[in-house]
Amino acid sequence: MSFLIAQSLINGVILGTLYLLMAIGFTLAFGVMRIVNFAHGEFYMIGAFMALIGVTWLGLPYGVTLALTVAFAILLGALIERVVFRPFRADELSGMIASLGLAMILQHGALIMFGPDPQAFPSMASGVYRLGDLIVPKSRALTLGIGVVILLGFYVMLMHTRFGRGLRALVQDQEIASLYGVRLEIMYPLGLGIGIALAAVAGALMAPLFGVSPFIGSTPLLKAFIVVILGGLGSIPGAALAAMLLGILESFTSSFVSASAADILTFVLVIAVLLFRPSGILGRGEA
Amino acid sequence: MKLTKLLGAVSGIAILAGAAMAEDQVLKIGALVTQSGAGASWGNGMLRAAEMAAEDANEAGGLDVGGTKYKVEVIAYDDGYKANEAVTAANRLVFEDKVKYIIGTVGSAPILAIQPITEENGVITMTLGFTAEALSPDKPYTFRPNPTTGEVAQPQIDWVVKSQNIKTVGALFPNDETGEAIAKDIASAYANAGAELTVKEFFERDRVDFVPLLTRILAKGVDAIELDGNSPTTAGQIVQQARDIGFEGVIIRTGGPATQEIVNVAGAAAAEGMFVHSAFNPELETASAYQQRYTDTYGDTMNGFSPFFYDGTKMLLLAMQEAGTVDDTEAVRTALENITNYEGVVGTVNWTGEEKYGIAHQLDSPFYIARVEGGAEVIVAKCTTKGCE
Repeated sequence: MSFLIAQSLINGVILGTLYLLMAIGFTLAFGVMRIVNFAHGEFYMIGAFMALIGVTWLGLPYGVTLALTVAFAILLGALIERVVFRPFRADELSGMIASLGLAMILQHGALIMFGPDPQAFPSMASGVYRLGDLIVPKSRALTLGIGVVILLGFYVMLMHTRFGRGLRALVQDQEIASLYGVRLEIMYPLGLGIGIALAAVAGALMAPLFGVSPFIGSTPLLKAFIVVILGGLGSIPGAALAAMLLGILESFTSSFVSASAADILTFVLVIAVLLFRPSGILGRGEA
Repeated sequence: MKLTKLLGAVSGIAILAGAAMAEDQVLKIGALVTQSGAGASWGNGMLRAAEMAAEDANEAGGLDVGGTKYKVEVIAYDDGYKANEAVTAANRLVFEDKVKYIIGTVGSAPILAIQPITEENGVITMTLGFTAEALSPDKPYTFRPNPTTGEVAQPQIDWVVKSQNIKTVGALFPNDETGEAIAKDIASAYANAGAELTVKEFFERDRVDFVPLLTRILAKGVDAIELDGNSPTTAGQIVQQARDIGFEGVIIRTGGPATQEIVNVAGAAAAEGMFVHSAFNPELETASAYQQRYTDTYGDTMNGFSPFFYDGTKMLLLAMQEAGTVDDTEAVRTALENITNYEGVVGTVNWTGEEKYGIAHQLDSPFYIARVEGGAEVIVAKCTTKGCE
């Protein structure tokens, strides 16, 4: 029994890290731009396809592919901000609908380019680490490791650089931030670009674990959505807490009760949080 | 001036084209298959099979039925493996496109959902759906041109259990009608073979992370994992993740050909050594020629169900020729029932199922057990419904 508990904890932390990568980008895009980006899951899908192209078609090393994915996604995000979202800056509802349309365009674009079949993706690591009875698959350990490094890098950027301070100021209050010299014309495209890059890198990290196809974006989007609602829309520490909570909860319920029970419990939790703390666990109420 | 000339030319061409159309009658066949989502590889295999059968007829100058040449045209709709979308598409096919023949559906729930429309209007359907309820005496227009778990499970499980000395089995199934039905069948098949299905897990179809469930299954110490009932993509993920967390036992895929997709998703290394159902013998010349044509035409790997639907569509076209009509579907249905020992690309096939379903609309064909080696199937046993050797 203690084996199952420890194993579930490990599985849950790995899962939580994956959810966190997705959720941070989602909440950042909302915090900065006030856009509920329903296309977020499709950037996960694009990241997975970029990894596929880099690793299996071009034969690049995985690390190089990840770096290229991040760079490409930031540029793509900046471009999308300018072309799609800029006209809807002050209009949350229209921005949301534009993002739904964008999601459909991206998904069907991928469907036309790559077809509906799942694509082969080689494992980046095989075998397991054994700690007594406990098992950690090397492939997941690798994903976890890179994920944590990326999250730490993002944290340092956000907390200790001029750009990060600007971004945080923007999340807190756009007008005052711009009065203090935060340049919106740079911050908006870059903010969305970084949010999208986090989704894309999550996709690229998950590709060897969960496979690549045009339809893989919807589940991570749903998880990001749940995490962000639990943690509070726009709150990054809230997202971190909620992602770990969700990962561990899912893992324990799946291992001890059943997979369906995990899904039920997740939504019971969402409803409970919405009822008793509508702004989320660490949300700060309506801005 | 230029514009009027152009318009004149265009309308001239249009008139010519109209005249050419009038010479040839058109026979429309619907393809109501899954083209997006998890079942897409099955659906595309079926659609392309119908397209190639149509191409054969058209290359011979059209399908000759009672002296009239028909150009065969395939009209495709996507049901996304969903019953409600299948009903919408079936309504369009039957009432707007006016088709009398439908290749599809892929799923069990979709075929049961469209049967009230197709049976009522005498539309012949050829479904892949594995549910036993798809075929019955009060559904005389539905045929199934592929073997299902009901036909293949017992002989195959008997053979694998015996040859691999398996005592306990764990399995994961999608949490819906299809999954529940298959779980029940598989449990009794293993019990009959002298093994026991000790752990059953159900999950929602869009799940991608199976590690928590597999952890639970492995904690119970099973000899084998059974993948029957899962879509090719999901089965591939289960194989990969089971090997990832160190499962070293036997992996068995009883129903539904999906080896190529499983290897694609899981990787050849993880899939190595698993036992799969194979409806398709690459050593058979006609079968490998079909596979070659498929990959040459579509640049894609072929799903194992595709040749069955190629044969099925060809048999349907043959039945129209023998009945001498494309409109009287009752006559076509009877002609189709009367086809025996048809030499298809999958071998010699017949209709069976009188005993099991009360109506002989189920295809009877040879099948195989294969072991995956280096990402490809190697046939290790040849089977009939009576047993494998």
